[in-house]
Amino acid sequence: MLTGENIVQLVSGLLHWAYAQAGISSLAGVIDPIISAVVMFGFIAVFVMFLVWMERKVSAHMQSRIGPNRVGPLGLLQTVADAIKLTIKEDVKPVNRDKVPYFIAPIVAFVATFMGMVVIPFDKGVVVQDLNVGILYIIAITGFTVIAILTAGWSSNNKYALLGGFRSAAQIISYEVSLVLSVVPIIMITGTLSLSGIVEYQKQAGYWFILPQIVAFLIFITSATAEANRAPFDIPEAESELIGGFHTEYSGVKFAMFFLGEYIAVVVSSAVAVTLFLGGWLPLPYLDFLHIPGFVWFLAKLLLVIYLIMAFRWTFPRLRVDQLMDFGWKVLIPISIINILATAVVWFCLYGKGAQ
Amino acid sequence: MTNDELKSKLEADFKDQVQSVVVTAQKELVITATVAQYLSLCKQLRDKSGYEMNHLSSLTAVDYPKENKITVVSHLWSYKNCFQLTVKVDVDRGNSSIPTLFGIWASANWFEREVFDLYGVVFEGHPNLRRIMMPDDYQKFPLRKDFADDGFIVKPS
Amino acid sequence: MTDLLLSQVKLSGESQFGTDEYVVNMGPQHPATHGVLRLIVKLDGETVKETIPVLGYLHRSIEKISENRTYPQCITYTDRVDYVSAMSVNLAFALATERLMGIEAPARAQWLRMVFVELQRLASHLLWMGAFAGDIGALTPFLYGLRERERILDLFEMTCGQRLTYNYIRIGGVMIDVLPEFVPKCRAFLDYFEPKIAEYEGLLTYNPIFLERTKGVGVISPEVGINAGICGPSLRGSGVSCDVRKQQPYLFYDQVKFNECLETAGDCWSRYKVRMNEMRESISIIRQSLDRLEPGPIEAKMPPVLKAPTNSEIYSRIESSRGEMGVYLVGDGTAKPWKVKYRCASFSNLYLLDELTRGWKVADIMAVLGSLDMIVPEVDR
Repeated sequence: MLTGENIVQLVSGLLHWAYAQAGISSLAGVIDPIISAVVMFGFIAVFVMFLVWMERKVSAHMQSRIGPNRVGPLGLLQTVADAIKLTIKEDVKPVNRDKVPYFIAPIVAFVATFMGMVVIPFDKGVVVQDLNVGILYIIAITGFTVIAILTAGWSSNNKYALLGGFRSAAQIISYEVSLVLSVVPIIMITGTLSLSGIVEYQKQAGYWFILPQIVAFLIFITSATAEANRAPFDIPEAESELIGGFHTEYSGVKFAMFFLGEYIAVVVSSAVAVTLFLGGWLPLPYLDFLHIPGFVWFLAKLLLVIYLIMAFRWTFPRLRVDQLMDFGWKVLIPISIINILATAVVWFCLYGKGAQ
Repeated sequence: MTNDELKSKLEADFKDQVQSVVVTAQKELVITATVAQYLSLCKQLRDKSGYEMNHLSSLTAVDYPKENKITVVSHLWSYKNCFQLTVKVDVDRGNSSIPTLFGIWASANWFEREVFDLYGVVFEGHPNLRRIMMPDDYQKFPLRKDFADDGFIVKPS
Repeated sequence: MTDLLLSQVKLSGESQFGTDEYVVNMGPQHPATHGVLRLIVKLDGETVKETIPVLGYLHRSIEKISENRTYPQCITYTDRVDYVSAMSVNLAFALATERLMGIEAPARAQWLRMVFVELQRLASHLLWMGAFAGDIGALTPFLYGLRERERILDLFEMTCGQRLTYNYIRIGGVMIDVLPEFVPKCRAFLDYFEPKIAEYEGLLTYNPIFLERTKGVGVISPEVGINAGICGPSLRGSGVSCDVRKQQPYLFYDQVKFNECLETAGDCWSRYKVRMNEMRESISIIRQSLDRLEPGPIEAKMPPVLKAPTNSEIYSRIESSRGEMGVYLVGDGTAKPWKVKYRCASFSNLYLLDELTRGWKVADIMAVLGSLDMIVPEVDR
């Protein structure tokens, strides 16, 4: 049967055979992660391009338009064309920019979000590095985006960019709190920080965490949307107010990096949401007999969550900055704290203190 | 109330405060006042019951170079009583100066800035009498009739 | 000019820490200023301390040009005064000229004018709704608005061949009679369009975020509004009855039944609601006008050269899509007007922007600016 694990074993076996042929078996431990990272990079790059296309199609559908339909079948290659255009176009830079941070910011934004993908389990065993502190790692690494955005806003030497940077810093820091708090109940229940471990727990328990933790799921999705600077929380870029916010002064490849970074952030947060709440690679209940590989389930769920986030964007108006802060601090954080307490109490009543 | 009734009412109420009250051929009620009468007349038109001209619909000017005057024209409307009045004041073309209506209708602020910008009429007591349409360092007054002779319009040869 | 203006924006150190004000120059190129309006915004963090509108970037001196054109030629320029609602300005000028010269347009022309002006109001309000929603971050209603506006423009194109600057309503009548299939097409459009308003309202009106952004924002009290010359739907949002169609009826507005839409709160949401309700009233007016449309001439008998009487003047007002539209004409006995003045709703509505946004956040500037339905060509002319 074709499963993700089998594929990994096959590829890994092939690689080891290749290493042995080349006489570098001692380096296998080093090269393996590099190769898997490269594979991951390729996958994500293609997937994100698909997502950009999907976003445009979704928005077109919601706005009764057609959307891209010229380049390639169904316009699928439109993003490729756009990417090529962005790559070869002139990189317009403000004269009075702060050169080094201006250069580094988009790279940090891209890399920081991308690194989150490292611990996402696509299928049983299909993960670049199954860290035992996976959730902590993701939260820490995606927190880097705020540095990138703030740096971008500051170094552009543009007033809109700076406003956008400040807004973004305030927003991401605020919503990071509720994001973490919404994950805590799951960690309490499962007793592990490893993403694969959480999926395994859901498999053994026989239910997905979206059922007992629907509140946490909603908070997580909301905070994740805010973390990724997506509408209705897109105030850092707020097109009608700040033109482009922190990326006003970026063009060409650098802009593309911010752009792709945003989409990867969406992928990462959706992937975490799928892993934590929707059972990761587990098949839908009663559909195990279909023998669909786990990563297909995972991708299907991932696309569903991403569609949800896209639908938000094209439906809601944008919040104002103070309302955004109010919502984060006065609504989401108290609810998530209450959720943690409630979970603790319920779990203690059900299983006593030995929940694990 | 027809314009003719209104005319007699105006003449009775503002006997010494207007120069003339006329109903034109186009059935418009036009009050002509001097610069000295202007401000108090407008204030009374706004506040006096029976008039309550609470809406300054428009304020503009007309240039008459032959008579060497610029007429500042204000159009008033009463939301309460639903009638329209025109108040005209002549100012000297060379040394035009007239009190501002800003204290009576806030909307006069920009209207007067526009008239200042395009006609060069100075509104005394205006809080912010700057050019509004033309660049700040512009020297001329485009809507004056002698402006066209500066080569503003290229006449077909 | 920039240096001059910015030097007038004093940088004061009033704040506790002796910091400078953050002066942001919004426009003349900015996605939310609907054209080339420029705002100098002084900020304290996100809080707006002052908004100074700088006008004139679209000043084409239409009034001066009109002084050198004959009356029929001027109509073409009126299209450019407000190109989103060109029919209304056409009508304003045509009516003023007719009253100045004592011309009476025939009944069919009058009814046709009503149909087209109200269709134009629908088109303009649709575009406004989309732009307003876009200003506060909802991009989808814009496309919905344009989708329906497209069909209105098709009706216009079918009649006069133009989609933006029509030059359709002429002195003494209209340019050309409508095609026989116009009336059924127009009715079909109205039947199609009427349920759509509920669709837009479902998308926006009680959306929690939309309510957050518009309720209580940019409140204009009736007294302040009247005094500052706010007019049209923006003033009706404050509960002041100010519809020229009711107060000083022109065309046949006294013969059709329609309600003046009023809201009392005076905030952005009320102004939004007034315009949404106005669309329904416009549909009703168009239906009644189509019912009353009877065959007949579409243009009054006029002399070949139109000349205004000597020393004649007229100030004629209509209710355009944006509010009160006044045209002041002074005739001097020749074929060209001595003086033309367009009193535009956008110009007077924009005046209050500073007061409405002071102490609010940056994002509220866009909400207030959008809700006032300001359009730059009308401000600058």
